[in-house]
Amino acid sequence: MTSPAQAGGAATPGTPGAAASSTPPTTPGPAVAPAKDSAGVRGLIFLRDRGIFVLWVLLIAVFAVWANPYFATLNNAILIANAAAISAIFAAGVAVGIICGALDLSIPGVAALSSCVAGWMITNGLPVWLALVVGIVLGALVGLVNGLISLRGFNPIIVTIAMLSITSAAAAIVAGGYTFPGLTQLDFMGTQRYLGIPAPVWITAGVFLVGTVFLTKTRDGIRLMAVGGSAEAVRRSGIHSDRYKVFAFVISSTCAGLGGLVTTATVTEANPSASPGLIFTALTAVALAGVSLVGGRGSLPRVLVGALVLATISNGLTIVGVQPYWATGVTGALLIGSLTLERWVTTSVSRRLMATAQASVHTGTR
Amino acid sequence: MNATTTTTTPALELTGIDMHYGYVRALDSIDFHVGQGEVVGLLGDNGAGKSTLLKIMSGAHRPSAGTVRVHGDEVELHSPSAATHAGIQMVYQDLALVDALDIATNLNIGREILRPGIFGLLGFVDHKAQRKRSEAELDKLGVRTAAMTRPVEMLSGGQRQVVALARSATRVSGEQNGILLLDEPTAALGYEQTQVVQALVRRMADQGIAIVLVTHNLALANAVCDRMVVLNRGRKVADVVTAETDNDHLVGWITGARASMFE
Ligand SMILES: Nc1ncnc2c1ncn2[C@@H]1O[C@H](COP(=O)(O)OP(=O)(O)OP(=O)(O)O)[C@@H](O)[C@H]1O
Ligand SMILES: [Mg+2]
Repeated sequence: MTSPAQAGGAATPGTPGAAASSTPPTTPGPAVAPAKDSAGVRGLIFLRDRGIFVLWVLLIAVFAVWANPYFATLNNAILIANAAAISAIFAAGVAVGIICGALDLSIPGVAALSSCVAGWMITNGLPVWLALVVGIVLGALVGLVNGLISLRGFNPIIVTIAMLSITSAAAAIVAGGYTFPGLTQLDFMGTQRYLGIPAPVWITAGVFLVGTVFLTKTRDGIRLMAVGGSAEAVRRSGIHSDRYKVFAFVISSTCAGLGGLVTTATVTEANPSASPGLIFTALTAVALAGVSLVGGRGSLPRVLVGALVLATISNGLTIVGVQPYWATGVTGALLIGSLTLERWVTTSVSRRLMATAQASVHTGTR
Repeated sequence: MNATTTTTTPALELTGIDMHYGYVRALDSIDFHVGQGEVVGLLGDNGAGKSTLLKIMSGAHRPSAGTVRVHGDEVELHSPSAATHAGIQMVYQDLALVDALDIATNLNIGREILRPGIFGLLGFVDHKAQRKRSEAELDKLGVRTAAMTRPVEMLSGGQRQVVALARSATRVSGEQNGILLLDEPTAALGYEQTQVVQALVRRMADQGIAIVLVTHNLALANAVCDRMVVLNRGRKVADVVTAETDNDHLVGWITGARASMFE
């Protein structure tokens, strides 16, 4: 059954560039000469994948000049990082959900619930570590419920909106209409600095490091992304795609719980009122990072930079004395700009590739 | 090659298959077989029952009556995963590739290679080994697409079709040679890309894979099929070796103008 072309393939070296030729596939010879993309295509892809980094560097450069000498200092950099930290944790949760094809809107409610339950436990003299563990596990459990209900064929947006109401109500019930103030026991993960860097920044760095490694290097992470891209493809490979959907909800909600705890630690108070604004900030960072709302694509480092871009804009504009509502407007404009860029890059890349690339198969002996 | 395949046990054999959709009789006691390394074309007009027969082979539908044998053993294909387990892979018209992921990841999903040692236990994927394996597999099929790290969304239609075919081919060409079911694999492709897919189908057959090809494209069927089976309104009206027939006969059977071979 072995054809001559195949047998000879191992001996002769590949001809680079042959893969891009559009001649009819009759030439015998070795296969798989990894095609090289043209410089233009690579540039465009770089722009699409790394555009947010470029944007951030540009913003820093602009403010370094405009807000000189107050902007470009180490202290201000730490301020920006700290300001971005908490919204970045929420953004990570939103991003993982969206990447797997499930937008979790219950995040603010889960954050409030975790925060209030932990606050209640600490106020009532229970150990701090236990309060933190319960807060996180509670987040994970809400995610599990979200996921299992959504699997029954209910629209995840409605399910998580319902869960937003339920969890905020639960938070208010736990708090009995008040807040839990003076939670200084949580300073170690709130205002405390390690090596000069505030605790929330460390926590955020940890979340993104683990999340990125998970999504890009591990089997479950890759499958999770694949489910978001095409659940059918995953199913046809004999994998239960549902499991990964539920998993994404759990991750999303766990991030929400963690974000709530870190918020509580920084303000030393557990507040039962869920702020829906939180989800919009997170979504803005996620969208700026080019995470498609359709699912299946996105990268956590870009989401982190998205959150940093938002923090940089509001910090820089505050320093130069511009009213904060300008920052909101600028963010909106950036968002539309980034969408336009993404669309333009995608279409021009595929147009170029169509023109040059052809698959080819050797006809062998027949 | 045909001489050997006809004498050995067929890779897939269906006998007396009936299929009713309510009162609609979509298939009427169909006998069908395909041997290892053989490409059998399944032809017929719209509504003739081609897709229905293919769905029975892929485990998506259960026949109302009849038996299915894989490599001689009777099997119950009660679900697509049962069919997969029996070594049958279906390539659907919608390719179901994960657009944002690269070619290697698409080819390896569901059968990932983990890294050795502690990282493997933690579920870390060995991307390099996966790329190498996929390159070797595509090489064996004689396929050139693009760089393994190219996201699937950046491939042309033909390349995507090739990746989807290769994904199925690599899953059936394990220890025992499998069966590949293709439903209109070139319906959306231009001339040149059809040539590519055509060559790939032949290559896969040459490696021992049994292939059932549903198509409306007579030129394609003539070019790649060893044998053709024609369905007309749920009945098998012809089963001929490609070399011993011509387009006029085939068109006659497809439209019903020509009498069935079996009456
Ligand atoms: N799910 C279904 N319910 C009821 N009738 C069906 C169903 N699927 C197919 N049929 C009927 O069964 C017959 C065979 O259909 P089938 O899809 O197998 O045809 P086909 O040969 O694949 O046609 P085409 O070339 O149009 O794809 C048709 O009469 C069709 O209307
Ligand atoms: Mg059909």
